[in-house]
Amino acid sequence: MSTILDLHSHSEASEDSRAPVEAYLNWIKLRRQERPLDGIVLTEHRQFNRHADYRALEDKYGMLVLRASEIETDYGHMLVFGVNDDITRRFDFADVRLPAQQVIDEVAAMGGLVVPCHPGRSNVGLCEHYEKRPALDNVVAVEILNGGSRKGENERSAALVAKFGYRATGGSDSHMVSLIGVCATRFEAEVGTIEELVHELKTGEYEAVDFRPRPSPIPRAIPVEAK
Amino acid sequence: MAVEYDPAIIGKVFDVTDPVPVTAVAVRDYCEALGETNPLFTDEQAARKGPHGRLCAPPSFAVTFRNGRHFYQHVPRFGRSGFDAGKDVEFIHPIFIGDQITLSSHVKEIYEKTGRSGSMVFVVIRSTLGNQLGETIAHIDHRFMHR
Amino acid sequence: MADNTSRTFEDLNVGDPLGPVQLFVSRDQARKYARACGLDFPRFTDDEAARKEGLPGMILPGNMSLGILTKLVTDWLGSGGGLLTRIGTTYRQPVQPDLTLTLQGFITHTQSADRTAEIDVWLENADAERLVIGTATVQFPAR
Repeated sequence: MSTILDLHSHSEASEDSRAPVEAYLNWIKLRRQERPLDGIVLTEHRQFNRHADYRALEDKYGMLVLRASEIETDYGHMLVFGVNDDITRRFDFADVRLPAQQVIDEVAAMGGLVVPCHPGRSNVGLCEHYEKRPALDNVVAVEILNGGSRKGENERSAALVAKFGYRATGGSDSHMVSLIGVCATRFEAEVGTIEELVHELKTGEYEAVDFRPRPSPIPRAIPVEAK
Repeated sequence: MAVEYDPAIIGKVFDVTDPVPVTAVAVRDYCEALGETNPLFTDEQAARKGPHGRLCAPPSFAVTFRNGRHFYQHVPRFGRSGFDAGKDVEFIHPIFIGDQITLSSHVKEIYEKTGRSGSMVFVVIRSTLGNQLGETIAHIDHRFMHR
Repeated sequence: MADNTSRTFEDLNVGDPLGPVQLFVSRDQARKYARACGLDFPRFTDDEAARKEGLPGMILPGNMSLGILTKLVTDWLGSGGGLLTRIGTTYRQPVQPDLTLTLQGFITHTQSADRTAEIDVWLENADAERLVIGTATVQFPAR
């Protein structure tokens, strides 16, 4: 039985998002036909929300809500899954210049997994850093499909995956309710906990899935001109 | 290197000394520039039947009030250029023609992040607008991005 | 153009759209806005000066994008007494004039206890890239 999760989303805990978690789940319920998600992973910017408890919402909506983080490193932005106290004691997630290789290796040793996100994005994506510096070791997977990407960015990510043979994930990178789940990751196995998610990301079978709406014709409006 | 600034700047309140009058011309010009045709903001007769009983400025008119130069002498700047990164506006009371608007601001937060533009420092300024009756018009968080 | 609908809280459903509305903002209109707001700085009035600042050309002031999205909401509210009580915007990419923009929104949450609704709003370009995103809160009077 497969599991489809949006692996990259930001709630109002991230400074540039205004989306309450419950609104995310309600939106997924409303849009179930177009975005058949089983849950979401909250990847808040430069922090890990250790005390947040979404069990009541999980029960209410019948969906999984897992917690992770999006950190900033010397090789761009990365998602950290399986964050625990050892990891947060070792690395200050508020630091925007974390040493990527160290983070990847030590987080793995402490039971988590680091996944570089939006690698095709300028300045904060792996692609651009790989043009100037040696490739990182021990990268298991990267985010091939990001819902907030601009033209060409996901394509650059795909080229990176093809070149290095990385596994590939998908996530919406949503900062607003209506964008949750536009991109996601389909796992062949059942995923019900963060530990199972880390295990599947490392060794399981999965693929990025694209639920972005196709553009539909927009009715023409009267252009507003200066008098 | 983490962004450096004097922590005493956070929370220090600056007031604009002279109230700014809201004129019919300013509101009309603003509406025209925005392509605003809502009769609540453009038609006195129609506005009398609206929720406020008289003509008022469009809500976004609130963000046109800015701090005086003396504020920016004290607020830290980072990098070579600054850009408006966004705003959060809480509209509490409408702005009417004839109002005298005062502004009180403080630096709410300074933080660093990276993005497509590279390293950026964000300065969040919280402004509170008031009128001549002592009513609070709006709270505005301005986010400025410096790089 | 303001909506003649008298929209009430009871009319709302999560998932209801605002727009889409297409908008063309000319250079002249952008300059007019900048002048009206005391923002007639080079980046808002002149392509070459804007490029010297690392911009792709002359851009709309952020306040103008906020004003445009605010207008989307107040037009949608119409004359039913609903008021915009909050709007938050994030400027993700510079918005240039002389381009067709599309404004859209969705109601994402309603709360009957205080008769409010939350709305996602955004402004996108022809490639469906969201240049400015935001959320708005509206409140309706008691019946």
